[in-house]
Amino acid sequence: MTPLAPSMQLVPDEQDSETYYLNMGPQHPSTHGVLRLRLHLEGERILGVEPVIGYGHRAHEKMAENRDYLQFLPNTSRIDYLSGMIYNLGYCQAIEKAMQIEVPERAEYIRIICGEMNRISSHLLWFGTYLLDLGGFTPFLYAFDDREKILDILDSVTGSRLTYSYGRFGGVCMDVDDTFLRAVADFCDYFAKRIEEYHKLVTHNVIFRHRTKGVGVMGADLELDYAVTGPCLRAAGVARDVRKDEPYGIYERFDFDVVTAEGGDCLARHMVRMGEMEQSLKIIGQAVRNIPDGPVMAAKVPKRIRPPEGEHYFACESGRGHFGMYFRSDGTDVPVRMKLRTPSFVHVSTMPVVLPGTMLADTVAILGSIDIVIPEIDR
Amino acid sequence: MDTLRQTLTGAWSLLVGMKVTLSHVLRKPVTSQYPRERIEMTQAYRNVIRLIEIDEIGSHDCIDCQACVRVCPSDCIKVEGERPEGMRKKRATLFEVEFALCSECGLCLDVCPTDTLGYSREYDQAGFKRSDFLYDLLHEWAPMEEGVREKLRAEEAVKAAAKKAAAEAKAAKAVTEAAATEAASGYDDTAEAPEA
Amino acid sequence: MTVFLHLFDNPWIGIAAGTGALMGFVTVNALWLIWLERKVSARMQRRYGPTEVGPFGLLQTVADMLKLIGKELITPDHVHRPLYLIAPVLVFAPLVALLSLLPIDADWVFHDFDIALVLLLAFSGLNVIGIFAAGWGSNNKYALLGAVRAVAQNISYEIPLLLAVIPIVLMTRSLSLHEIASAQAYPFILVQPLAFIIYFISATAETNRAPFDIPEAESELIAGFHTEYSGMRFGAFFLAEFTNMVIVCAVATILFLGGWKGPLLPGWLWFFIKVYGLIVVMMIFRWTFPRLRFDQLMTFAWAILVPLALVNLLVTIVVLKL
Repeated sequence: MTPLAPSMQLVPDEQDSETYYLNMGPQHPSTHGVLRLRLHLEGERILGVEPVIGYGHRAHEKMAENRDYLQFLPNTSRIDYLSGMIYNLGYCQAIEKAMQIEVPERAEYIRIICGEMNRISSHLLWFGTYLLDLGGFTPFLYAFDDREKILDILDSVTGSRLTYSYGRFGGVCMDVDDTFLRAVADFCDYFAKRIEEYHKLVTHNVIFRHRTKGVGVMGADLELDYAVTGPCLRAAGVARDVRKDEPYGIYERFDFDVVTAEGGDCLARHMVRMGEMEQSLKIIGQAVRNIPDGPVMAAKVPKRIRPPEGEHYFACESGRGHFGMYFRSDGTDVPVRMKLRTPSFVHVSTMPVVLPGTMLADTVAILGSIDIVIPEIDR
Repeated sequence: MDTLRQTLTGAWSLLVGMKVTLSHVLRKPVTSQYPRERIEMTQAYRNVIRLIEIDEIGSHDCIDCQACVRVCPSDCIKVEGERPEGMRKKRATLFEVEFALCSECGLCLDVCPTDTLGYSREYDQAGFKRSDFLYDLLHEWAPMEEGVREKLRAEEAVKAAAKKAAAEAKAAKAVTEAAATEAASGYDDTAEAPEA
Repeated sequence: MTVFLHLFDNPWIGIAAGTGALMGFVTVNALWLIWLERKVSARMQRRYGPTEVGPFGLLQTVADMLKLIGKELITPDHVHRPLYLIAPVLVFAPLVALLSLLPIDADWVFHDFDIALVLLLAFSGLNVIGIFAAGWGSNNKYALLGAVRAVAQNISYEIPLLLAVIPIVLMTRSLSLHEIASAQAYPFILVQPLAFIIYFISATAETNRAPFDIPEAESELIAGFHTEYSGMRFGAFFLAEFTNMVIVCAVATILFLGGWKGPLLPGWLWFFIKVYGLIVVMMIFRWTFPRLRFDQLMTFAWAILVPLALVNLLVTIVVLKL
């Protein structure tokens, strides 16, 4: 009889009668998608973890090889559907960087506003579902109510709520008007007060603090070894943010802080994300005040997008971390290879190191706090 | 004592949390009672595409250029056209969108040269079979197609006639100018060539 | 309403009628409480809750119950049949028996036991056996984990529950619920606030309600010990939970809030107002707070609640001696 692959073994070996395998299977309320975690447990303590991915593989990178650059644009929103706008605009910026296309000022400001709104909505969803995993059902609905406001605002200008195909090479496809800017400003005022409520309801709550303080500590060394980025890295005290280290667009003109926390536990990650939402509000406020008039599309955009031959790389800061787009072009319409470096793929690979030694209930807390999106892992 | 202080702070945080949730009871619910309340879609809302009326023509202006077919990432548009009798412009005879495949990216609207593609305002399509989502965009424009073609033919004829008249006028003008130049220079080209 | 047993000539008919009345109360109570829970949680979350079926959605639970009754009772192949089948009964039956001990008004009680309190605490323990039978008999890792946690949790929280009740017993020198309620010229919560808080927290843990709902932790263990149950068997667990809520809140009213005492309105109405008021507080707890981790739950019971309850008991003894 052929031996089963390690990930299929569900009964322990003969000599091992104390431990058991538990499948936190592809269908589970807390794995945020179709992720399978094969846990090796002794009682409630975890001895080993094996993440089994691939249940959501949709072959985006292969699709990129069969579509030209403009046709791949809708795919970019769907890689990580929570940061769809950021990925979309990042892809446009990648091609613009390769083809040396100048983007008008107004379009850059619009991109910043939409990208940061998307970041807030992504963090809000994380907040809601994290509390849902921990057992508090109500903050989920509050977060989604706020998120509806963001989605309505973005819907009014792009036409979609989740998978925006808003950016085009050379700018954005539709202009914004004063109603949009006023709605954004109103939302910023409203949301600043909501964050205070969330702090009162959740962050200071003793049960929440007990569930997250000291749980799932990921030290800076471990994270740098595994190339963890984004809020997880900043929660360990390392101030790395693509918007500050390798600024793209017009991020250099904006005054915002890189939010860090000490400790690297779940509570630190929570504080970093709440802080990031506040910083995004700051950026949006500055953008709304300073947005100039003008066209939103570059004047001279080539009819056929043919990036110069060779390798091109572009990185942007999504809700989860450093999102990198690498593509190799041979001068034709269609890329030879497109590789998407997604942060969640890297973060899930730290699970076999972080989870052993914790309890089963902590698994859910830690998995929720690193904010993974499974479609991003499987692409 | 530290434990006692922690317990009291903890208990206080729980009470504050309860105050937050209870304060929400006094706020108005945010549910919209669909289907009794129809939801208003925004102006830019994207749904299945439709052909928009172009004012000068009084109907759609699809000229079967296949640009939208080529750009669609999901291969969901099918367009066929013909050049009607006596017309230089083509008209579409078949325009089908398989909406089940559409990803609502809006690229087809961007590349349409005559700007005749737009979004429809429906948002709650439902069907029992896949063929329910095969939309025929020419269905609403079929009754007036003949009239439109007549109109276009007439316009083109007028334009062609005007162009021909302009060309003739230009040719006649050239001839008269040449004759005037001749008279001014005294050159008599009606004379026979001198005998060699 | 005197004791049912004397209403009919044949005691067996009396028992049957009494049981029927109790089951009727259990069902109506569950219907009403499920509706209340959905409405309370909806309002806290800025939505409407059930509105379609019946006025204000009151008949929604009836529709849900009909659906549950109509479901197929699937018995998976791999379960241990005796335990699997007896578990819902073990969980449900003691609670129905306990309902007969509660005095609703000064002279409305099924049977006035003079050790009613002891009986109540004893029967609450039977609940645990049923849960464990469900988890073990399901032959499912998730169910077993849920059952193990439930047993540990219920047993741990019985100690503070007991310790919080003893001061009241010392004050009134009686174990009969009827006498304790009658002896309250002023509600005992005014002199025993700490005991009330400890009792209420332990009661929430006994009924497996959030923030102590680890046994049925939806986001971790699918559905805990009742994962493998469907249809009306699941309904039995559900009914048991709501009946348990009524019982513990009724005991809290009788011991601490004065039972049926109150001005103007008839006694039984006051009783129900107080009981359902406490249940609403339990519901607010559920929808506001996240869940405690299992070992934190145990630490909370043993390291915080038990010492506090002992201190309270000591102070009561000292004060009573003086």
